Amino acid sequence: MSTTALINHYATNRATTASAWLKSWLLTVDHKRIAILYLISINVFFLLGGLAASAVRLELVTPQGDLMSADMYNRMFTLHGVIMVFFFLIPGIPSVLGNFLIPLMIGARDLAFPKLNLLSWYLYMGGGIFALCAAVFGGVDTGWTFYTPFSTSYSNSNVVLTIAGAFVMGFSSILTGLNFIITIHKMRAPGLTWFRLPLFIWAHYATSLIQILATPVVAIALLLVMVERIWHVGVFDPAIGGDPVLYQHLFWFYSHPAVYIMILPAMGVISELIATFSRRRIFGYEFVAFSSIAIAILGFLVWGHHMYVSSQSVYSGLVFGFITMLVAIPSAIKVFNWTATLYKGSISYRTPMLYALGFIGLFVIGGLTGIFLSVVAVDIHVTDTYFVVAHFHYVMVGGTMMAYLGGIHYWWPKMTGRMYNEAWGAISALVVFVGFNLTFFPQFVMGYLGMPRRYHVYPQEFQIYHVMSTAGSTILGIGFMIPLVYLLLSLRYGRLAGDNPWNAPGLEWQTNSPPPTFNFETQPIVTEEAYAFQPE
Amino acid sequence: MPNAHNSGHESEGNYGHISVQTYWIVFGSLMVLMVLTVAAWYAQKHFIHLPEIVAVGIALAIAIAKTTLIIYFFMHVKVSSKLTQIFAVSAFVWLMILFVITMGDYMARGWPPQKGPLTQAPAVIAVGEIQSSALAGD
Amino acid sequence: MATTPHEHGYNPALLHHFDTPGQQKEAATLGMWAFLVTEIMLFGGIFLAYMVYRWAYPAIWAAAAPHLNTPLATVNTVVLLVSSLTVALSVHAAEMGNKRQLVTLLLVTILLGATFLGIKFTEYGEKFAHCAGYANPVAWMTGGERLAEAECLVPGANFLFPTEVASAAEGSAAPALVARPGMKTPHQLFFFLYFCATGLHAIHMIVGITVMSVIAWMASRNKFSPTYFTPVEIGGLYWHLIDIIWVFLFPLFYLV
Repeated sequence: MSTTALINHYATNRATTASAWLKSWLLTVDHKRIAILYLISINVFFLLGGLAASAVRLELVTPQGDLMSADMYNRMFTLHGVIMVFFFLIPGIPSVLGNFLIPLMIGARDLAFPKLNLLSWYLYMGGGIFALCAAVFGGVDTGWTFYTPFSTSYSNSNVVLTIAGAFVMGFSSILTGLNFIITIHKMRAPGLTWFRLPLFIWAHYATSLIQILATPVVAIALLLVMVERIWHVGVFDPAIGGDPVLYQHLFWFYSHPAVYIMILPAMGVISELIATFSRRRIFGYEFVAFSSIAIAILGFLVWGHHMYVSSQSVYSGLVFGFITMLVAIPSAIKVFNWTATLYKGSISYRTPMLYALGFIGLFVIGGLTGIFLSVVAVDIHVTDTYFVVAHFHYVMVGGTMMAYLGGIHYWWPKMTGRMYNEAWGAISALVVFVGFNLTFFPQFVMGYLGMPRRYHVYPQEFQIYHVMSTAGSTILGIGFMIPLVYLLLSLRYGRLAGDNPWNAPGLEWQTNSPPPTFNFETQPIVTEEAYAFQPE
Repeated sequence: MPNAHNSGHESEGNYGHISVQTYWIVFGSLMVLMVLTVAAWYAQKHFIHLPEIVAVGIALAIAIAKTTLIIYFFMHVKVSSKLTQIFAVSAFVWLMILFVITMGDYMARGWPPQKGPLTQAPAVIAVGEIQSSALAGD
Repeated sequence: MATTPHEHGYNPALLHHFDTPGQQKEAATLGMWAFLVTEIMLFGGIFLAYMVYRWAYPAIWAAAAPHLNTPLATVNTVVLLVSSLTVALSVHAAEMGNKRQLVTLLLVTILLGATFLGIKFTEYGEKFAHCAGYANPVAWMTGGERLAEAECLVPGANFLFPTEVASAAEGSAAPALVARPGMKTPHQLFFFLYFCATGLHAIHMIVGITVMSVIAWMASRNKFSPTYFTPVEIGGLYWHLIDIIWVFLFPLFYLV
């Protein structure tokens, strides 16, 4: 198709009426607009999940249960978990940054299935509305894991509605993953071989593999729970010979790979940030690329490490434990390679880099504590304590959240055409880092000393840790709010960014900020390796 | 040499062809396999006694054969790209991961849980029977 | 960069984000295969539950399975295998540009799918009729012949598994099995899995029929040609998967 015909076809006519403007957003099939839709909705859910967390942390300031009843506390931490896991972390980076950047990074005009992409967003919103309705109607008290037989037979809360929310969201996740896989296979620009792809793409490819293979299993697990709850008969009911632990097998078969859905895109972001802000090609590119795939595959073989105390066979436990240690190896490979990239790099401490450096340190702590937990003997003592809570918050908040913020800041000029205020960016990164560690490091200590999780009443001796944790969470919350302010202000008052404010290689920086509807004026042809920094 | 117009995708979508005759042969085979599986079941039920594992094994083998025929011919995997073939196979590989590891757990622990003598559901047992069965320790 | 003007509508089916029809077709086929992978994993969960409980309660399975209507299910298997053939032939017809054959074959496929659902409906109806105390669904509707001996194989509060079969099954969970409504026995697991698996399969069949109907309508409206018949192909892939799932459900539930 000729260039002029292309432009004429894709020329965006500015919507002249309010309803046309609304339609241009709600019926868009442009991956960039869908990414923005996700950005807004995901951040709204993050705020709601954060409010639930605040309620939890406020209650925990005192050893007595004075702020809320035990039942209400159960509903609060469940709400926090369900929203954060299903509506923030799992869609998070793939749906916002992946949607926006994947076609740009591979030189394509859009994703393979733009209408499916829009459907993904609507499914996400549908699922979110179910979950919010459940919250409004009183919430659910089973924990985000919905363990049977409590969820199927004994809970008096809105289990079906919440599960329906997670179920619908699962399909959103599947469709996004499907879209990414086909796009990356089939729509790369001429000359863009697999080993010239940015590591962001490799990471999202691996993530999408997990989304496709794992999500249906939790879908059927949740479906069976819904059926059992509605019709009072099911396969997890011990009274008719069923096994509640079967639910745990089905649930964790997804939920463990799900945590890799959360962390792999984050690692992809970090690869991009480290490369750009040390102005070097990522050391050991092929190793980092293959390690993403290795994490995705090995991550399917370790789910039983969530079930050591569930009456799972000890022999299975030992096998799962061993393989869990193996899955740490590719993650370690990435960390070593990032560090090697930094060595003798030309490092600039811009805001995205601050988040990336924070990620590396916090992810190492979170990941290592995961290894401690993989050992059956240790896990028996610290399972269902705050040690586990601290571990997963280190990787999910210290890891994924930092990468999400770093990525948003890095690609903000590309998405909006504006630069944010760098000073405030750096300040908020530091506030987040300090607040995060103050919140979650004491949790390692008190967990090891025996403080159980999901308890709102606790012995006096743990109060000091809880007070530190709550103080930290307040600082962390402020750290999350500050970017909201300056990023939104930048839309109006920010300096115009230009095509490539970071002077980074990569196809996304070779087009305008924000990119035109069809992404590129002319079809890019790739002749260089990834991260081809010009010597300065 | 790829240019903007020709991005190297021209040869795609065209990997071969399966004839109508092949379809009919495959259909015939599927019907034969179906008759076989029902016949095996019938025989096992009435004439030949086989251990359960063998009977299930035969039934599954026939089902797998039918599935392979359908996937290879009817779903055109025989004439599809390597990538499509990998997708098709990987679904079953992942299914095997789920099955093997989970069954490994069930086989390695004592499940279903064995009930002790005092936990037998009384149902409609006369009082004398309860005493004697408890004493017998079963 | 290519600046030679090119007729924009040389292939009206080519979407603008693709470069060539071949690329678009490959993408669509791969996309459908990725979706089929998710469907296989979805049913995988139910098959896992089946595997676990059949391994744990083999005698219960042996006792319960004869209560399913194997002859009807065999007919259903034949129906689905024939429908797979008609689908494959319809894709071939589309490739050849033979519109009449294409539409006819698609309609036959839909008819076969509806037949499958009808038979399934009858099977389910039989089970529910027995629960209501009638010998068959027709008798249930007309108030006719009642069931000789009480039986209710729909899991739930009224589940009733005939006892003489139960007590003859060795190794069942409770040796002194007494038939009363809502009896807590692993037989409920068998029938629950039966209804779930075949029910989920039936839902997919309904979706498949809907998809095929849309494709048949598109075909009748001349939307397909030898150069573009991708929806027929990927609709066919979905239909074949429905058949494959039944190929496994049939021996596992009916040929125990």
